[in-house]
Amino acid sequence: MANADIQNLFVTQGKERALDKIIVLGIESTSHTFGVGIAAIIYGEPKILVNEYSKYVPEKGGIHPREASQHHMAKAPRVLRNALNKSGIKLKDIDAIAVALGPGLGPCLRVGASIARFISSYYGKPLVPVNHAVAHIEIGKLVNKLNDPLVVYVSGGNTLVSIQRRRRYRVLGETLDIPLGNLLDTFAREVGLAPPYVVGGKHQVDICAEWGNEFIDLPYTVKGNDLSFSGLLTAALKKARQAQNRIELGNICLSLRETAFNMLVEVAERGLALTRKKEVLLTGGVAANEYLNLKLDKMAQLHGARFYTVPNEYAGDNGAMIAWTGLLLYLYGVTIDPQKAFVKQRWRLDEVDLPWIPEN
Amino acid sequence: MDPGELVFLTQGAEAKLYLTVFLGFKSIAKYRIPKPYRHPEFDKLFRYRRTIIEAKIMSHLRILGLNVPAIYYVDPDNGLIIMEYIDGHRLSDCLGVLERSSVIDYALSLGKQASIMHKNTIYHGDLTIANTIVSGNKLYIIDFGLSGYSRDLEEYAIDIHLLSRSIEALYPELHDLFMGYFWKGYAEIAGNEFTVKLKDKVHDIRLRGRYIEERLRRRIMHEKYM
Repeated sequence: MANADIQNLFVTQGKERALDKIIVLGIESTSHTFGVGIAAIIYGEPKILVNEYSKYVPEKGGIHPREASQHHMAKAPRVLRNALNKSGIKLKDIDAIAVALGPGLGPCLRVGASIARFISSYYGKPLVPVNHAVAHIEIGKLVNKLNDPLVVYVSGGNTLVSIQRRRRYRVLGETLDIPLGNLLDTFAREVGLAPPYVVGGKHQVDICAEWGNEFIDLPYTVKGNDLSFSGLLTAALKKARQAQNRIELGNICLSLRETAFNMLVEVAERGLALTRKKEVLLTGGVAANEYLNLKLDKMAQLHGARFYTVPNEYAGDNGAMIAWTGLLLYLYGVTIDPQKAFVKQRWRLDEVDLPWIPEN
Repeated sequence: MDPGELVFLTQGAEAKLYLTVFLGFKSIAKYRIPKPYRHPEFDKLFRYRRTIIEAKIMSHLRILGLNVPAIYYVDPDNGLIIMEYIDGHRLSDCLGVLERSSVIDYALSLGKQASIMHKNTIYHGDLTIANTIVSGNKLYIIDFGLSGYSRDLEEYAIDIHLLSRSIEALYPELHDLFMGYFWKGYAEIAGNEFTVKLKDKVHDIRLRGRYIEERLRRRIMHEKYM
């Protein structure tokens, strides 16, 4: 959404409120991260005032929903307090509170939802329901000042290619089984490389790929615009169990990453060829992956499109994206009664009507 | 146009298309481009496989009498196919401006052709409205790079799932009309029993998408009553 549009919106929607300042606090707790962000529009300029979070890192295995939710409960007060202190904003000063109601892990979602409902009721602030996937896209559009990109959204829970059309983000292609982030994490875990999954900003599979030098043929499954990673995971794990040394394991990591990323880039490329968009946006947790950025950038260039990514701070789950999306929704009058603000573990990106996406 | 002359037409996701004259026939040269973002070995194998399968299946379908471009020449090592030129428009470009009766005719035709294809154990792998060309009253199916042979109902269902989603993405208001007649045409060849089975499978595939409410409901019901 362009600044000019926001200003127009102020003129039409903001008459009842203070015109110079709108502040929304957003809470994210869909999965491993509990985050609080504050977004504002100050004299027509969108701003992220603060982005605080605490990430649950399992000692072994993957994310345990109950453990993660307990982490969120323990950390929530401090994260919230830090966000308020750093930004110098008081809860009574905010215009609305936004919360990611889904999609995500039930126990985790409920932590964020409970806090948001409480603040909303206690301080009498409007509550804005935000879809987590929409938020990942909107923050990417905000930081890169994009209006209408082809979106590649990749994380531990999602892998999809989307465009905006007729009031919604429409899904052009997505994974039919496991997401790309999940593929990399599961592989790293099963072969004993993780946790930790990310070391020094690099995923274990990327580190491992540097040990290898040879490409091995692995199953490549693209069905139309959809992807399937489960066969690739099984085949790679089977080969990894037979690996004799670091170089052989490195070859498998290299080939796994090459195959998986090529699948995703192909689907994105199909979407780009079909829609002829001029901008490609990579967002979601896996947007931090340098190698995927490189591939998508090269692909976009082939089609005369520009490639954009999101900085690490906003790539993974965060509260700022929920606050910003909540702010947009609030401007258009989308709010929910706290008593009806149930969490939605399943809530598809393409089920959400978004007033700022044009009708055509 | 001189024989052998190449005129660049368009670039798709994986190939460049050129207009040419081959042995006196107006033809399309489809060249699968090496991609700088792929590992060289991967790229070579990838383009080879896609080229072979496309040429093979299109030839087979042509023999079965489907509306697909005829294959004139194949060079898999260089990722090149020369095929018949079809003069028309992609359905993805023109569906919105067609008369209702034409939409119905094309939907019926696509249904019948998909049915014959599946009956012969072939799946397309990327059956979207962008991969169909309408030329006069004929509807052609193109772009078989993702196709293959399989007896698995799943592959056939995925074809239809992709078709349905491509219409939903580009022309949501025409989706129900088009798919209604598509299924009608499909059942004419495949018979009702098979068509119903396939419809169920398509529904199942749709539910596999991420975060679908109905899937959760179904599981809860299952746990409750079993």
